[in-house]
Amino acid sequence: MKSLINKFKKNKLLKFLANTELGFLLRNSLQVYPQSFKTPKKKYPISISDCFLWRTDKNYQTKFKYADLLNLFYKIENSWVEFHFYSKNNKLIKIRKIENLDLFNELVIDSKFFNNLEDYGVFYIYHFSMNSKIMEEDNVLVNRCYLGYSQNNNLFSFVHGNVYAKYTSILSNKKIEHNMMKMSFLMNENYAIQKYFDGFDQTELVFINPSSKTLKFKIEGQKYMLKAGCCRIIEIKQPVISILSNCRLLRPTVFSYKNRYLDVHHS
Amino acid sequence: MQHFFFGIKNELLNSEIQIPLFQNRKFKSENLQLYKCFPEKNKWIIEKISQRKINDYFFILKEEDISNKDIFFLADNDLEKKFNNKILENYRDFTIRANLKIYLRHGGFSSYQSDYPYSMINKLGTILSPVSSLCNSQAEKNYIIIRNIFEKPIEEKFKAYLINYNKKKIEKEYDLQTNFTNILELDKELIKPEIFIVTEKYIGIPMFVSLKNKFISFEHTLPPHEYIFSKNVFKIVTKLKKEMNEIINK
Repeated sequence: MKSLINKFKKNKLLKFLANTELGFLLRNSLQVYPQSFKTPKKKYPISISDCFLWRTDKNYQTKFKYADLLNLFYKIENSWVEFHFYSKNNKLIKIRKIENLDLFNELVIDSKFFNNLEDYGVFYIYHFSMNSKIMEEDNVLVNRCYLGYSQNNNLFSFVHGNVYAKYTSILSNKKIEHNMMKMSFLMNENYAIQKYFDGFDQTELVFINPSSKTLKFKIEGQKYMLKAGCCRIIEIKQPVISILSNCRLLRPTVFSYKNRYLDVHHS
Repeated sequence: MQHFFFGIKNELLNSEIQIPLFQNRKFKSENLQLYKCFPEKNKWIIEKISQRKINDYFFILKEEDISNKDIFFLADNDLEKKFNNKILENYRDFTIRANLKIYLRHGGFSSYQSDYPYSMINKLGTILSPVSSLCNSQAEKNYIIIRNIFEKPIEEKFKAYLINYNKKKIEKEYDLQTNFTNILELDKELIKPEIFIVTEKYIGIPMFVSLKNKFISFEHTLPPHEYIFSKNVFKIVTKLKKEMNEIINK
């Protein structure tokens, strides 16, 4: 088997095929060199965004803290960011461009930000600059950022970015792509959350589909489907949670409640 | 790879650690023993923890089990016989994270999935982390928590600095200790975009805590190299760290 794999690795055509979309699907389905995501290789500098959850439902506000990565790491001034906000059903609802960035910045997302919309959804951040002189072709920036969630105007509970999702050119001249996360034909990926969910009044898991394919998953005996870019909040009841899915890196965000207090973290 | 765990304790904050006996991708409970370890007179002291397994899946350590010196890890049952008290080792390839929760008595709680990987315990270096990303100038109190675990059982002092990157000056200096959970209180006026926490010589996990009206926020920051996926990532990050070190040493 080992020699077969070595032969496979040396064959350029097979190596090429193994790294196509279909190749990843097959590898993940057969569990042969499975891969969660693939860093894009392009001939231009790239800004990758995680898929970030925004919440304005149930009297929530979301605070997003982000760095001016181009200034911090490359001393490039006058860069800007663009936020693309989507509904929970992946409908684009707002684009916000922010210039004159500080080294570290924040954006508060409340219901007023969306014309009194009380709901939840996904957003992405992209860094752009016209200054390409010190950006080498293969530079890839990933903004992991920090998200705070506050309910009823209480203290924001912070959590860092969770999973890579979309990318585009920093030079602002290419389309947005979202094929980083690699999936499987089969529901053969297990993800058990390493937390004992006992003693809480309520626990919600927030699932976002970071891929360009349909996400299928099963939790507490219930099957769910999420189309590309969509998200869903699911309340769980059991103290130990294991998720079966067709995604190698399906890590929901956890909201645990007890009395009037809230804890948000990644699983 | 071996993963180590730690807790947090001061006059306000207490912690609880939930250590799983299963891996994320393999939901099968392993027959492993939980150990506690701490440095004393240049030796690692090891103790078996037998009373804290709550079911097949978890050990749960409560505040009375935790001090800022202790580290915890899972390994095979017979580890004590072959334990080297001069150096921590990779005892068991078992990749897990524990839920580290901090809480206030009669108040809120906050947690994250924490670990201190074996790959970090033999490294020297510099922590570089922005302060404003996770601190809150509207909060009543803000803490920066720096946990170091070093492979040798040393209790050595080292420094952390709050650096003003725009003014190129040190705003504040702290004394830290190796193999310890260091809890630093942060002045509100130093919560600004240009302020960074920087350590000298030893690395660790930087975590940030804010408190207001008995609510807590608790999260760790990501290291700078996680923001760049390029072959020159370490060159770029080293350049930034060098700038910070020049401010410290000028």
